[in-house]
Amino acid sequence: MRKTFIAIVAVLLLALMVSPIIAQEARWDGADDLPVNPLACPVEEGAEAEEAAEEEMMDMPEYNGGQPDMAPDLAGQPIVLVDVPKLIGIGYFDATHLGMQQAAEELGNVTVIQGGTTEANIDDQVADIENYIAGGQVNGILFAANDPVAISPVLTRALEAGLHVVGYDANSQPEAREWFVNQAEFNGIGKAMIDSLAAEKGPDASFGIVTSTFTTPNQARWIAEMWAYASNCYPEMTWLETLEAQEDSVLSFNQANTLINKYGDELDGIFGMTSVATPSSADAVTQAGLCGEVAVVGLATPNAMKPYVNDGCVQSVVLWNPIDLGYASVYITRAIVDGEFAPGDTSVMAGRLVNCKL
Amino acid sequence: MTASMTSAKPVSARFSPIVLLPLLLALAVFIAFQFLPFVNQPELGATTIPVLTESRSNNEVGVPTNGLILIPIASGVLLLLGIWNLSNVQMIRATSAITVLVGVLVLEYFVIFAMDYSGEQSTYLGSMGIGFWALLILAFLMIVQVFLPRAAADREFQLRSLISNQESAIAIALVVLILVIGTSNPRFVSTNNILDVLQGNAYIAVAAIGMSMVIITGNIDISVGSLIGLLAIISGRLVVSGAPVWVAWLAPLFIGAAIGALIGVLVAYLRVPAIVVTLGMFSILKGVLIIWTNGQRVTDMPPDFYLAQMRPLGISMPIWFMIILTILAAIWMRYSGLGRALYAVGGNAEAARLSGISQQRVVLQVFMINGFFAGIASVLYATQLNIIQATPPPALELAIITSAVVGGVSILGGKGTVIGAMLAAILLNAIRSGMIFINVSPFWIQAVQGILILVTVLIDLLRRRRQAV
Amino acid sequence: MAAINESTQQPVQQRNLSKRLQDMILSQEGILFIILVITIIILSNSNANFLTSQNLFNQGRLLAEVGLIALPMTFIIITGGIDLSVGSILGLSAILVGYTWNNLGLPLEAAIVVALLVSCVAGFLNGLIIVRVNVPPLIMTLATLAFYRGLAQGISEARSVTGYPEWFFGLGQGTILGIPTQLVILGIAIIISGIVLARTTFGRTLYAIGNNMVGARYSGLPVERVTLAIYTFSGLMAGISGVIFVSRFTTTRSDMGSGLELDAIAAVVLGGTSIFGGKGSIIGTVIGLVMIQLLRNGMAINNITSDATIVVIGSVLIFAILVNNLIQRLRTAE
Repeated sequence: MRKTFIAIVAVLLLALMVSPIIAQEARWDGADDLPVNPLACPVEEGAEAEEAAEEEMMDMPEYNGGQPDMAPDLAGQPIVLVDVPKLIGIGYFDATHLGMQQAAEELGNVTVIQGGTTEANIDDQVADIENYIAGGQVNGILFAANDPVAISPVLTRALEAGLHVVGYDANSQPEAREWFVNQAEFNGIGKAMIDSLAAEKGPDASFGIVTSTFTTPNQARWIAEMWAYASNCYPEMTWLETLEAQEDSVLSFNQANTLINKYGDELDGIFGMTSVATPSSADAVTQAGLCGEVAVVGLATPNAMKPYVNDGCVQSVVLWNPIDLGYASVYITRAIVDGEFAPGDTSVMAGRLVNCKL
Repeated sequence: MTASMTSAKPVSARFSPIVLLPLLLALAVFIAFQFLPFVNQPELGATTIPVLTESRSNNEVGVPTNGLILIPIASGVLLLLGIWNLSNVQMIRATSAITVLVGVLVLEYFVIFAMDYSGEQSTYLGSMGIGFWALLILAFLMIVQVFLPRAAADREFQLRSLISNQESAIAIALVVLILVIGTSNPRFVSTNNILDVLQGNAYIAVAAIGMSMVIITGNIDISVGSLIGLLAIISGRLVVSGAPVWVAWLAPLFIGAAIGALIGVLVAYLRVPAIVVTLGMFSILKGVLIIWTNGQRVTDMPPDFYLAQMRPLGISMPIWFMIILTILAAIWMRYSGLGRALYAVGGNAEAARLSGISQQRVVLQVFMINGFFAGIASVLYATQLNIIQATPPPALELAIITSAVVGGVSILGGKGTVIGAMLAAILLNAIRSGMIFINVSPFWIQAVQGILILVTVLIDLLRRRRQAV
Repeated sequence: MAAINESTQQPVQQRNLSKRLQDMILSQEGILFIILVITIIILSNSNANFLTSQNLFNQGRLLAEVGLIALPMTFIIITGGIDLSVGSILGLSAILVGYTWNNLGLPLEAAIVVALLVSCVAGFLNGLIIVRVNVPPLIMTLATLAFYRGLAQGISEARSVTGYPEWFFGLGQGTILGIPTQLVILGIAIIISGIVLARTTFGRTLYAIGNNMVGARYSGLPVERVTLAIYTFSGLMAGISGVIFVSRFTTTRSDMGSGLELDAIAAVVLGGTSIFGGKGSIIGTVIGLVMIQLLRNGMAINNITSDATIVVIGSVLIFAILVNNLIQRLRTAE
């Protein structure tokens, strides 16, 4: 018996030694090979910039959402919406929910209840939405999807049950929802990130990326866009490595430290792709005493980055207003129910955000 | 005339003050090392003893920016071992220890005279030579031997007994890993990285101390991850709302112990299986945390709150906590009544009861201790970064249990030590870091980690079966 | 004489019957069933949509995956073991369906068979090392938890596979005679498992192993073969659940099924199976499953946020076992 046992151990050790060899493949650029659409590079002359900006005003794409089946006509009547974020218990979705509550107060005839589960798990999220469909007490669902494809069947069922479905932050497949409120296009975020790093460290910087997981759809698309944009506009930039750190701040810290130790002077910048990774990377850079030598650029919330910006370690943060995101989605849903916003429209009144243009 | 069973005297169960002498000696060696004028490092100002250095960058004066710091520590501890064994009339062991010590010291001076540092973060791996590393490993194993529970009648010193325990296996695995990866990518063994590897999982190692004790008694605690998350937020909120820093540091310890007591009562006195109670508490604590914080992270802590960022003697605080707490816990488990009762309860609860050990009280106390250590871990976790996140780290309890289990603590109860758990926590972090350094494809990192855990577990079993045979 | 016998016989029979009834009600399963009924009454009172067949069938659909995994988990826990790797095997099976269909070009039916085969092998590997090398199941399955999940991530390279043919979705989203497909599969599995556990030698062997493994071995029972079988069975069920997952979500992700093992263990333990082995039943597991699922469903329908829900479920778990312990102790004290 010992022989087979030793054989098992030997095979495993062999696999271990061999695996780094076969595992060293091309660097990941993930995102399921979905198409990337990098924006134009920044230009020097002003005139050229105007031209470029005009060219970017494309034709309005066709409406590609789904529509609810026999939604009850509740124009002007009180409605109940449920907010189903990726997960509850993190500041970002707390802020979006706050925006929704603000909109509900202003409108007066909307109630927003908090849905969502405690883990960013697509199975749990789908089960949660099923519960709300079955409960029959909500008129609309506001969602931020953990996976665009996996969430679509249940959203389609919601539409068939006559519920309104509006997404924010993380989209589903288009036909499973009526509208999607986007904080920024993927390529816009990619451009903002790479431009920030280039501004701080020059067009030949080398950077590493700390993200949550490789399978988080938004992060994956952003990284793919960043890579496409950088290849186009900053061919001298070197992409060193991408590391996963889940949503664990200490793990992000450790991964950022490993990046710093592995590349030493070669590392010019670290991108943080989540509001957990960016402050942790900034902490790693600060505690290693490399403020200013290693730039930290990323997506984060302002409060989290305040101490680093004050220290001068972080010079720019890419962010959007999550409160407005939630706010807008409630207003849009109200407009849909009141019949003021239909497929084919190109702008809608959304409270303090005045005119939301598509 | 009864013939004695062995020729050795049983190990003395009391500390003699003479043990302090080698510690002082080690400290003296270390301080002297700072002043050695023949060290050819221009940046190493020979007149400063670093206390709380703030920066770790290559150019600042601090602890010697290379691994030589290990040498005086190693020699010091070896001296301790030698004196200890001398006091136990273990002549063979003492001679071996002192021989190793002399060898290490000789190599140390050889290295200092022969090397020429360029001041950059170079590896000391190749320059030190295999001999030095072999001796250092041997020395380390012998150190570990001191803290292992031994049978009352001690055995002759045998080389085989050095590697006949899981702690040594983990230590060897760790050193092998460092050697292999360090040879492939020398940046892996730069001081900064080694210190990062030691520090990264330090809070997990501290929590694993408590978890090891729980597992030794035959129970388990799946709720410790949520508990750490909750206690960290409590600590942060206390200090942000104006409580003094030391209150914020100590409160999680006692709250953790209180929650541990609750679990202990349910397990010990109300006879609910530990896995059930902690499975339930896992959800309860997580839910309470989210309800209470509403997802708000805690920021803006005052600067003296950051315990984990302090660096006495240039080594970050979590590493000190990890090593000192592990050694203290190991000594406590070996020599104190409650510590030995843990092994008794885990090994054979009925026999323990007949020996007068109250199994219920022991289980209650071990869960309180577990909560206490979870509190310490949560303070280290909370003070590491400028922010405390509201959600507990995912799969933290899995990491802690894996550390304890891979470190040799037997789930069947009754065996294992906390030193193995600490080494396993360091090993897990070294694996994570090492995989990145040798460019394993990021998709396969987790699989490789899984294989390594599997291999370590199998080696442990192989060793145990060989012993049983 | 005869008169006395006759008159004493009837009360004996009645006593047997009432004693049996009392035993049934006061067993863990019985108590849990009563708690379940109370819960259903409370929840259906607070929301009319709770007890509709549409809702209940939907809940059945959702609990099918955990249910399929909880059945072999019952067997394993009865023998005193545990299997933490089922969630990872589920993820691996889901990934393999996508990978072999998409990257290797196999027809979808073959891809499913390959995924199920690999899941069986994964479970078999667990069992093999547990049996041959005597690794405690907790440790072994903890290690394979990490390893199989890592395999899933490595093989998939973090890409999802979508675009399956329509007929495949019938498995996870369709119905047979009005009942969701996976619920039918679960129902069949429950019946088979229940019969095996309660009425066959195999089932009795499981109890024997759980009560006293050494004794069982010396009694000539095929302990090793049985253990191998149940771990392989566990792998197979995880594989089937993985295929159902893919069909339900129309995509594959390498993180599917993470955390599912804890849900399954909670259901099994809630249903009266002792974690130390030797006691348990399929009925109990089913009641435990239904209880947890309906609790979650009921609370969500009543607009209770999920952070409060998990507190409730955790408390119910502890409370139910506590109450049962007390009642059992009172019973044996009589």
